[in-house]
Amino acid sequence: MISRRLLLASSALVLPLRALAGPTPAPKEASLYFIAPRDGQKLKSPVTCRFGLRGMGVTHAGDSYANSGHHHLFIDVSEPLDPDDTIPSDRNHLHFGAGQTETQIELAPGPHTLQLVLGDANHVPFNPPVLSKKIKIIVVK
Amino acid sequence: MVGEIHPFRPPPPGGRGESKRRLAAVLAADVVGYSRLMGVDEEGTLARLKRIRRELVDPTIAEHGGRLIKNTGDGALVEFESPVEAVRCAIVVQQGMLARNASLPREDWIQFRVGINLGDIIIDDDGDIYGDGVNIAARLEAIAEPGGINISGGVYEQIKNKLVCGYQSLGDRKVKNITDPVPIYRVLADLASVRKSHRPRGMLAAAAVAVLCGIAAAGWYFWPAHAPQQEATTAAPAIPTPSPPAISTPSPPAAEVAKPAIHEPEMVALKGGQAVIGNNDEASERPVRRMTVAPFVLGKYPVTVAQWNDCAAAKGCSFTASSDPDAPVTNVSWNDTQDYIRWLSRATNRTYRLPSEAEWEYAARGGTDTKWWWGNQLKPGVANCKGCGEPYDPRQPEKVGRFLPNPLGLYDMGGGVDQWVADCSHKDYRGAPADAAAWTEGDCSSHVLRGGSWKSDPGYLRPSSRDQYDTSVRYVTHGFRVARSY
Repeated sequence: MISRRLLLASSALVLPLRALAGPTPAPKEASLYFIAPRDGQKLKSPVTCRFGLRGMGVTHAGDSYANSGHHHLFIDVSEPLDPDDTIPSDRNHLHFGAGQTETQIELAPGPHTLQLVLGDANHVPFNPPVLSKKIKIIVVK
Repeated sequence: MVGEIHPFRPPPPGGRGESKRRLAAVLAADVVGYSRLMGVDEEGTLARLKRIRRELVDPTIAEHGGRLIKNTGDGALVEFESPVEAVRCAIVVQQGMLARNASLPREDWIQFRVGINLGDIIIDDDGDIYGDGVNIAARLEAIAEPGGINISGGVYEQIKNKLVCGYQSLGDRKVKNITDPVPIYRVLADLASVRKSHRPRGMLAAAAVAVLCGIAAAGWYFWPAHAPQQEATTAAPAIPTPSPPAISTPSPPAAEVAKPAIHEPEMVALKGGQAVIGNNDEASERPVRRMTVAPFVLGKYPVTVAQWNDCAAAKGCSFTASSDPDAPVTNVSWNDTQDYIRWLSRATNRTYRLPSEAEWEYAARGGTDTKWWWGNQLKPGVANCKGCGEPYDPRQPEKVGRFLPNPLGLYDMGGGVDQWVADCSHKDYRGAPADAAAWTEGDCSSHVLRGGSWKSDPGYLRPSSRDQYDTSVRYVTHGFRVARSY
């Protein structure tokens, strides 16, 4: 435990200078959330999603400035997040590596879940992971 | 709305001799959704625009030494002597607008789009301005995001070390009526650049932005400011200017001998013919198109680490890959593929390119009409994916050529690495070219990827499956293969 803390402390000093593999520290007070849609909202497709982030900044993937990352939107993902692995990129894991803070997605009618995950320069979750609440929405025809 | 401030008239014939030609930073701006706003509330919108001009726009232009050349109600052209001042002015106005909009419902927002170019302009006796320099500014503005600022490569070169901002490269874009592609950058404004203006208004805007960035106002970016020069250059790697196609360079026969041997990709000649592109079962793959694919030449394998590193050693590519020389190169952005192709074309005197989506799909099907080229069932030894069977290593792709080739003799057309193609991304095929040409119109901030990767489920390996990703962003499963026309 102590050695892990030491490792984190030293990597925090190095990170602003170069990208490293492995977990990138995030401030504890960082908070990731949906500005839209609201949890439980009933709405039509396409769904506009707007991403909110407090306590950290948004930057381009590949950039390793301290306390900044980029958004990933998980759609209907039920597997638990692997905090050490690159965030997958497929129809259920959308990447916003150019620093985008909103998107429009097309969803079939029915219930869906949405969750935001902040990724570091290499698309790996932060340590501790910066996640939004997993919200539920219902898409109506 | 955009159309109302351009196209500009050509310079008056005969007047060219005595007209005043000079180099200037030209800022073009327009109001997003002007007609809609006017339709909803004409009087209110006009009053608000007037107020914005009086309180924000006009004083900011004056402060930064700008000169209003043309005002069209919904847009304006402003000339600055200094590109730094032009960009600073744009940032102050855009951030001021952000603060004004913050308390309003979205439908009442007034937003500007801004484009800034550095170029030759011609001023006539009436004070009107003309020239490519102006037209490019207007085109940059037309493709800017609401609330955003696009600048040309020329402006970027002038300001990159002077303004503490992030700059995101949007690549080289063809601009209407302009022959050469224009490198375009988006300004990612931050606090420090506004603070630098040392003006009360700047400070207010900065304070507002600090709050707004906290709640993530769309389209703006924010990070702690430090090491300005390094940031500016890492945020937007310089894009090499496109080289003339290899075909037009005269080939000096004897002088070429000294060139070091390179690992040129092995190619397969494809005769083309009738092809069915798309799949009606998937929204993004509709509508199905029948077309004739012209003969072309396609890489037998994805570009390998050894091949890529030749380019890196020659400083044509921006990083050296460290995995097995025979593994497909990974973690390349679409922009990176263009670096490699430029370098390879120059090094070999052949015109390489990425395949189009349609060419890739025709080649991947290999004349079959089953779910995958090998049939409708999974079986081991045909592809490298999650669920495709052995050999499989979840951490990395297998070396190229380890699995069976498809009927056209092509390896790894599906699985292994996702492969960039030349087409800009579109959500489906509505409006796509009728032939197999790449679809390079529209929003090219993301491009299409084909084939799925070693991390994909088998469904993503279908020949017609499409994926897309940001043009300038690298991701661990992304690679490519090269093509040539016959």
